[in-house]
Amino acid sequence: MAGAAAQQVSFGGLADRLRPYTPLFLLVFLIAGVNAAEPGFATLTTLSVVLSDASILFILAAGLTFVIMLGGIDLSVQAAASFASMIVAELLPRVDYAAFPATVLVGLAFGLASGFVHVKLRIPSFIATLAAAGVMTGLSLLMEDGRTVSLLDQGREESAWIAGAWLFGVPNVIVIAALVGAGGMLAQRYTRFGRYSAAIGAGEPAAIAAGIPVDRYKILAFGVSGAFAALAGVVLAARLSSGSPDLASQLLLPAIAAVIVGGTAITGGVGSIGRTVVGALIVSIVRIGMTFVGVDIFAQQIVFGAALIFAVFVTIDRSKIGVLK
Amino acid sequence: MTSTWLSPRAGPAAGSAAPKWRALAPSRFGAIGLAELAPLLVLVGLCVALGLLNPSFFSFRNLVWGVANSAAIPLILAMGATFIILMGSIDLSIEGALSVGTMIVALLCANDSNANNFGWWGPLLALIACTALGLANGLVHVVLRIPSFMATLGVWFVGLGIGTVALGGSEIRVLDRTIRSIAFERVLAFPLAVWIAAAMFFFALFLERKTRFGRYIYAIGGGEDIAALSGVPVKRTRILAFALAGFFNGVAAVLAAAQLGQANTTIANGRLFMTVTAVVVGGTSLSGGWGGIANSLIGVLIVAVLANGMVLLGISPYVHETVQGLMIIAAVALSVRRGRSLIVK
Repeated sequence: MAGAAAQQVSFGGLADRLRPYTPLFLLVFLIAGVNAAEPGFATLTTLSVVLSDASILFILAAGLTFVIMLGGIDLSVQAAASFASMIVAELLPRVDYAAFPATVLVGLAFGLASGFVHVKLRIPSFIATLAAAGVMTGLSLLMEDGRTVSLLDQGREESAWIAGAWLFGVPNVIVIAALVGAGGMLAQRYTRFGRYSAAIGAGEPAAIAAGIPVDRYKILAFGVSGAFAALAGVVLAARLSSGSPDLASQLLLPAIAAVIVGGTAITGGVGSIGRTVVGALIVSIVRIGMTFVGVDIFAQQIVFGAALIFAVFVTIDRSKIGVLK
Repeated sequence: MTSTWLSPRAGPAAGSAAPKWRALAPSRFGAIGLAELAPLLVLVGLCVALGLLNPSFFSFRNLVWGVANSAAIPLILAMGATFIILMGSIDLSIEGALSVGTMIVALLCANDSNANNFGWWGPLLALIACTALGLANGLVHVVLRIPSFMATLGVWFVGLGIGTVALGGSEIRVLDRTIRSIAFERVLAFPLAVWIAAAMFFFALFLERKTRFGRYIYAIGGGEDIAALSGVPVKRTRILAFALAGFFNGVAAVLAAAQLGQANTTIANGRLFMTVTAVVVGGTSLSGGWGGIANSLIGVLIVAVLANGMVLLGISPYVHETVQGLMIIAAVALSVRRGRSLIVK
């Protein structure tokens, strides 16, 4: 450890200043790499597919970013998204457009609940959210006995604005993700919630001593995570014209990977929504790139599992680690 | 890691900590606290309630096949997980290991997909592979200094990926009758699987109570910095514990392949959740240092009896996961020792 510290001091300046940009370099390198292997990659059509894929992932990971930034983890985002897809599919025929805000509110409520359980009952966040995931999965299975709910014609029309395109053929999913990203960045820079999230992650005892209502902002972060996960579920349901209890079950790992690969440290304190944008793009390009090059879709899990460990290894802030559990 | 004096709210909690400590002290030093007996009382209460609601619960057939047999695999998984949780860590890779282990058994023993028929080499290699995955968990966690939930999350998906790719996404049936007999051969009225689980339980109990390794685990969970200062080989013990958990996962994988007679992509679904629920419901604290193998036996039985009861009462299987989710929250909330650590992440 002492040697590593000395090394960091001597290389210090440049390496530290370059570190935040590593994900960005990686992104450019990946696009160039995949394009070299498959020259058809860097076309507008393919990039639009990548962007749409990255958009859903980003919406799912946006709220998660705040949770990870303050040192917690949310393992229920995929369950929340699947649950939301079921709810929106059930509600659309009954309450029309009100189904969209209602679903996001349900996501918010479940997020707040798991935040409350984590903070007030003092249960580690990965267990509280694992349990929340179990509850939500159970509920979404129960709704239609485990079946998928298809959106009927009316539902399709009402959700067409999500799945469709807007100006110049830019898919609306991308617009929604851009709005989420802009809102997230503003919240992170200019609101107490954003500033405090980083402060709590950087040093919770100090944050408490400074008078920050830590509990409240932690619960809020889990609520935001639940709401964005629900929004991602709504978008997925609109694109696939159906809701299903395991619609997003494959998305937990890519979502966490998007946050971590982007450069947000799993130990908290360091990170931003902007990094998650880059991270989501990297994950999507790797995913679609692998399919392009012909890697088995199941083998992608191996790559992601290994990449996640490596990314945590690189981004973790070693100076803050005492005992590691 | 953090001390209580930092918080203005820690005052009263710290004051009440002393008597609570005594209440929670291990029974061999005297008084048995209510908290310690709670899981056992829950189990007994549950059994009585179920027996009253549906008398067939107490039928010998149900107790053997509905409870004991279905608790065999969860018990073996819980043995490994208990050591990890006692250290205050977590192993999320259980489902990945199961998927690799069952895949190896299915592909190497007589099956309906290829011409292999290696007999006992299949289970043996499955054990080795799962132990290796556990060892990988430990090495990644300790050497790369990555929090265990993150390290094992990565290994979970690596394992799941390997299992699925090797199976090609299909399901493969195990035709080897010797292997399958592990699950169904009856010895003294109980299936062999139950005896294997019992053997694993006593093996784990022995490790916990009678070996240096077991004592070290408690020392690390109780306070890793102090354990390290007292000369406990923390790193080695941690790596060993994860490898040991991998071994238990391997035994469970062989049993799962024998019981279901096949390997498929969803064979491991829900196992992680069930295992952690069982360990925690049994009274082992997630913050480490408190609980043990015997607690996990009770925890597994609670989960198994509850699942069996829900089936007997005709409750939709989809509710099971929801109930387990609520149970885990209640159990952890009740077992948290307030005033000990201020920050929960």
